[in-house]
Amino acid sequence: MTEPTPVFEARHISKSFGPVQALSDVSVTLMPGEVHSIIGENGAGKSTLMNIVCGRLRPTEGALFAGGEEVVFHSPLEAQAKGIAITPQEINLVPNLSVAENILLGSQCGHAAAINWRETVEQAAHYLHEVDNTIDPRAKVSHLSKAQQQLVQIARSAATQAKIIIFDEPTAMLTYRETEMLMQYIRHMTNEGRSAFYISHRLDEVRDLSHRITALRDGIHVGCISPEEASRERMVTMMAGRPTKTGSHALRDLTDRKVVLDVQGLSRDHEFEDVSFQLREGEILGVSGLIGSGRTEMAKCIFGASRAREGTVTLDGKSANFRTPLEAIQAGLIYLPEERKQDGIFPLLSIAENTALPTLDRFGGWLTIRNREMLDEVANLAEQLKAKFNSLRDPITSLSGGNQQKFIIARWLMRDARVLIMDEPTRGIDVNAKLEIQTVLKRLTEEHGLSVILISSEMEELLDVADRILVMHEGDLKGVVDRRDATQEGLLQLAMS
Amino acid sequence: MQDVNMEMMVPDRQKRKERSLISRFWQWEASGILVALIVLTVSLSFAADNFLSSYNMTVVARQAAFVGLVALGQTLVLLVGGIDLSVGAAAGLSAIVGSIALTQWGIHPYMIIPFTMGFGFLLGSLNGVFIAGLRLNPFIVTLATWEIFAGMTLVITKGYPIRPLGEKFTVFGQGELFGVPLPVIFFITSAALLVWMLRQTRFGRNIFAVGGNRDAALLAGIRVGRVEFLAYGMAGMLAATAGILFASRMDAGQPSVGEGWLMGAITAAILGGTSLRGGQGSIVGTVLGALLLAVLANGTVLMNVSGFWQRVIVGCVVLVAVLVDLLRRKD
Repeated sequence: MTEPTPVFEARHISKSFGPVQALSDVSVTLMPGEVHSIIGENGAGKSTLMNIVCGRLRPTEGALFAGGEEVVFHSPLEAQAKGIAITPQEINLVPNLSVAENILLGSQCGHAAAINWRETVEQAAHYLHEVDNTIDPRAKVSHLSKAQQQLVQIARSAATQAKIIIFDEPTAMLTYRETEMLMQYIRHMTNEGRSAFYISHRLDEVRDLSHRITALRDGIHVGCISPEEASRERMVTMMAGRPTKTGSHALRDLTDRKVVLDVQGLSRDHEFEDVSFQLREGEILGVSGLIGSGRTEMAKCIFGASRAREGTVTLDGKSANFRTPLEAIQAGLIYLPEERKQDGIFPLLSIAENTALPTLDRFGGWLTIRNREMLDEVANLAEQLKAKFNSLRDPITSLSGGNQQKFIIARWLMRDARVLIMDEPTRGIDVNAKLEIQTVLKRLTEEHGLSVILISSEMEELLDVADRILVMHEGDLKGVVDRRDATQEGLLQLAMS
Repeated sequence: MQDVNMEMMVPDRQKRKERSLISRFWQWEASGILVALIVLTVSLSFAADNFLSSYNMTVVARQAAFVGLVALGQTLVLLVGGIDLSVGAAAGLSAIVGSIALTQWGIHPYMIIPFTMGFGFLLGSLNGVFIAGLRLNPFIVTLATWEIFAGMTLVITKGYPIRPLGEKFTVFGQGELFGVPLPVIFFITSAALLVWMLRQTRFGRNIFAVGGNRDAALLAGIRVGRVEFLAYGMAGMLAATAGILFASRMDAGQPSVGEGWLMGAITAAILGGTSLRGGQGSIVGTVLGALLLAVLANGTVLMNVSGFWQRVIVGCVVLVAVLVDLLRRKD
């Protein structure tokens, strides 16, 4: 007996973005009817690899083979022609069109001169019902929840009838029941001889579903194991490169500290309902929840970037229902947005200017800015935060993500911030920088009495640094858990309850 | 020392309320403009007795037709998420080339309109090559081609009109069918064809997909570049139709044809609820927008308001329309 030919093979793939090596010499194969899972921490190169497979990126080195012959994809279209479809992690739908149209986008039923709408809706409903039976195919996509949109997206890749479907974090926003439906669908499609690449952070799901599991770490292929060998510990070790992480900080008792920020019954239509919590001086309050849980929206609302429908916010005993971010900043409450590149930095300005921008009034001389003083103060903070840089006059884009993040924190320390709300501060930065930022945060809370609200999708991070963890799901506050009582499973269960 | 602190369980958010007929009407992008048009028409018919006369209605409809044709093309371009600043100049250059083809190249008068439409498509596809093919910014590309088209018109004509065009040709701009001016018939027919195209053909739906989410369209296997290219081509073609019909109506290919049509076209589309960000809008809205502009212009004349005020009024109407749209979306 010869081995069956793989339906897809990536041999010795390397990919670099400028100086950053995202993948080096990674090889994977996919057999007919197989679910092959790719696991790894954020930034390990999973999405880069999958984007190469689906034709969105081209490898710097290495070759792809579909059905045994070499292929070069210049665009997703060419990959689709070879029967490869992807359900991307981020929602990628046309908001103003109906669910049915989105599912059959570009291939509506009927002939060139007239679309047969009834048939289109029926056919779309057929694919949709394979993954979910509650969504109305005629509804407009912009009216659906994030989880429903994710399901529509999966239905769309089902509709392509592709031989290979890449699922990139499909369950990140789904509930338990929806996840079960999806698992059933994937098993069903592999029974038909179609194959799937599957990416997920939920390791149990990976073990139950996969035929093989490949782990990546920092762009390197760590190993390929069968689900029988894949204990939770083994997978975590492969991903992290060390036995379970020991970044955990000591437990602290803060119940006698005074309350800095008091949020009561905060609600905003279609975003979150009746959120109440208290933040104590020097405390790090973690906020756990998936994308679409309302956590970012809640933070922006406290910050004054959007208006609450009802509810009160009190800062240091004074009413603090901010109407604009400027009011919040002046009161010492700062929000660091999730999209650092988009909302956080000014790419054309220098490190020093980026750091001192909101504080420039302090350095205003008679005619010009007193640069010397400004540079000294920024340098001083940079040292405190252990930031690495060549010259403060270099553009901020010359820094790594972790160091950029440190200067953004420094920016607000210059303004004597009291409360810092950080939205995914460590997403997309490497493990060491991540640990450093966590340590810096901890120190700031102890030395400066800073209070921090830390929003993160990574439960490990919250379990390591947060004093208490607030769990949100679909706009509802499900509960607040003290870290000493918190486990990953417990938090998940609370979110899904 | 606190134990696991289970705070309040929040009730499920209320289901989106059933939409009544009225709220569904308000959901429609063009609802505001339809109401505005009706209000304006009714009040003008009381204020000026000759407003509703069939002669005056013909005047209004014809006025709407020329800018309206240009606005239809602009709507397509806005729907794919672009903008075309060159439409007025393309109309002018096409009118001139069409006039020359008639008077000097001896093309049959009945073939002039198809010929000019083809020429307009070429002008539009020049924009398409740069914008869809080379991914340049539509604002800058069409700003440049606007200058080029307008300049070419002057180079060719040296500033003099081309006339006469002859009765066999002027019938298209001046003639009537069942009392309806032919340019109006061209306008309404084009609009009807486009409504059908956008609603019922794959190409039409792809226009919405590309404008609504370009990446999603790309991943869905839609030939995004081709959709954009064709939208610009059709915008040029519709502008050329308006230009050559106007020349036919004036019995002269004047170098000034198309001046001022650009703002009219964008205004009509925006009044009709077309979004500048792409993916949202409708042909019916644009037709209503063009009608509203024509009624406004006509109304100011009938009410003896100085023509100079007309632009002020149009500007105010646009601001009001945008505000109404903001309120509608907040609902």
